Amino acid sequence: MNAKRNEKRLERKNDELMERSGNFENPFETKGKFSKYSRVPIYLLTVVMIAPYYWMITSSFKSVKELQKVPPTLIPEKWIPGNYWDPNYDPNMYQQDIMQGLFQRFTKVEFGFGRFFLNSFFITTTITILTLLIGSLAAYVVAKHRFRAKRAIYLVIIGSMMIPWQVGLIPGFLLVDDLGWLNTYWAYIIPALPKAFIVFFLVQYLSSIPDELIEAARIDGAREWTIYFRIVLPLLKPAMIAMMIFTAIGEWNNFLWPLIITQSQDMANLPVALALLKNSGAGNIGTQGVIMAAALLVSLPTIILYFLTQRHFIRGIALSGIK
Amino acid sequence: MATKQVDTKNSYTPTKKKGFYKFSDSGISSYVMLAPFVLLFIVWAVYPVLSSLRLSFMRYNAICDETLSPCGSVGFGNYTYLILQDSRFHKALLNTSLYVFGAVILGLLASLSLSLALQADTRANRVLRVIFFLPSVTSGIAVVLVWGWVFRGDDIGLLNSLLSSFGIAPVEWLATPSLAIPILIFMSIWGGAGFGMVLFLAGLNAIPAMYYEAAVIDGANRRDRFRYITLPLLKPVMVYVVITGTIGAFQIFEGVYLLFPTSVGSIGGLKDMALMIVPYLYDMGFNRFRLGYASAVAWILFAIIFTISLINIRVTKSLEDLR
Repeated sequence: MNAKRNEKRLERKNDELMERSGNFENPFETKGKFSKYSRVPIYLLTVVMIAPYYWMITSSFKSVKELQKVPPTLIPEKWIPGNYWDPNYDPNMYQQDIMQGLFQRFTKVEFGFGRFFLNSFFITTTITILTLLIGSLAAYVVAKHRFRAKRAIYLVIIGSMMIPWQVGLIPGFLLVDDLGWLNTYWAYIIPALPKAFIVFFLVQYLSSIPDELIEAARIDGAREWTIYFRIVLPLLKPAMIAMMIFTAIGEWNNFLWPLIITQSQDMANLPVALALLKNSGAGNIGTQGVIMAAALLVSLPTIILYFLTQRHFIRGIALSGIK
Repeated sequence: MATKQVDTKNSYTPTKKKGFYKFSDSGISSYVMLAPFVLLFIVWAVYPVLSSLRLSFMRYNAICDETLSPCGSVGFGNYTYLILQDSRFHKALLNTSLYVFGAVILGLLASLSLSLALQADTRANRVLRVIFFLPSVTSGIAVVLVWGWVFRGDDIGLLNSLLSSFGIAPVEWLATPSLAIPILIFMSIWGGAGFGMVLFLAGLNAIPAMYYEAAVIDGANRRDRFRYITLPLLKPVMVYVVITGTIGAFQIFEGVYLLFPTSVGSIGGLKDMALMIVPYLYDMGFNRFRLGYASAVAWILFAIIFTISLINIRVTKSLEDLR
């Protein structure tokens, strides 16, 4: 008990020291008697940062009556699950204070709102796995093989990163249309697979790995595929994890392309479904709770992924940003 | 770039191969490994870009009909009309420029200040960094929906109910032309400052502590240390943040799409007060199906982004030479 308290005290002391020494070059830090308050602005900003999330959570558990209150209640007077699922809801009867929960909407779609989760989950995982597989194969060849036209190919790949992706939006749409892929998973997945940035990033990473490792294996008679799976992939692991997280989050939150290629509700991904939900109940305060519930459910998976992989994440950004 | 110049003399060369194989020292597997990425890349990245260039010189509407709506080359017609006559496009350009200017400059200041404030490695700072970074992984649509409630024009809007507790009359936030761009800039900073902060933190941590120690010995004060050590050494990160921030800001879509619809089903809000380049492209391409015209918009977007990136790099370089 005592040891624990001591430990805590030590850590607090250490924090204090770090704060002083770490801010060594911070010109904004005020000295003297106001230094106690120098961190007040940052805490105020933190409130602004958290507020939208807080509002998503709390208002998704408020009743319609409570949502209409002016000024709004900061903490729900009564926490109710109605915005997600109201057990008293009857589609044939309108009653006051009984809601049509999120999972009771989209009745024409199989599995209702759950369908969009399935769509998003399937699309995101498929794209992430395939794009990393083909990207890492290409990166390995570009970084460690010698053959004609390699430089030219790599140059085109890097060069494409300078072109905003919206440039290819319309021909991409026409191509998908010609192939008959509109409103299918194909349209989601196939065009999203070749990602130049992944190849660029992995080539950078691989070029810091000595060629000797691979050549030694080659002398030992290893085949190229064996080298890729047994040597290159394990070496690439940190970079691959970073890219995996980026790709997964990017695809989960993707909006403009899915908006264009979906024509019926059942093929929408979560962001498109959110937009549908918003447009269906525009302006009606009663649907705000349902919209917040949906927004929360859409945001949670990426936030959880971020919490789980935080270290890789930050390192990945640092790696890709500062080169 | 980072591809290594291969040293032919010293590295291992497999036995001479004949015919096709002589192009690569790893045999056919080089091509097999590269093929999935390169083929998909040609179809879904190279072809759409080239095709959109061709479309941008054409009148190409969804339905091509000899008499009613003929498709065909118009030379530079789309471009000259966009640049010289299309007042909606001019409005979109003006709005986007104001938005990008505000979002990039203020975003840079915000993320730099944040990184300095949260630089010390204390427990509190670690938590705060996570909080400030959260918007970067949250679905843009989900966030926009919360802001939509915050900025509602009636007294149920959160900002308005906050104002009314101070006795201020409700403001039509999303229907006041002079407020549209500032609101979008605010949303961009809220959503992007944490990402910039992570980049700056990586940059700050890469500065050796001994520079500061030496400066202290030489009698440099806090301001001098920031001015002569921190700022110059952070410049590469700053250039990166500005360039990627500019590119990202030019592509704004979701906030405009959801918060500023118009009654006739197009985008831009009242009097096109929030119309931007990509929403205009979407409106032309997918509401009006003027695909050739929309492609020309996309290429103007590319030209702007490309020029600004070049200028950015040039300016930083010439500033470096001045030193």
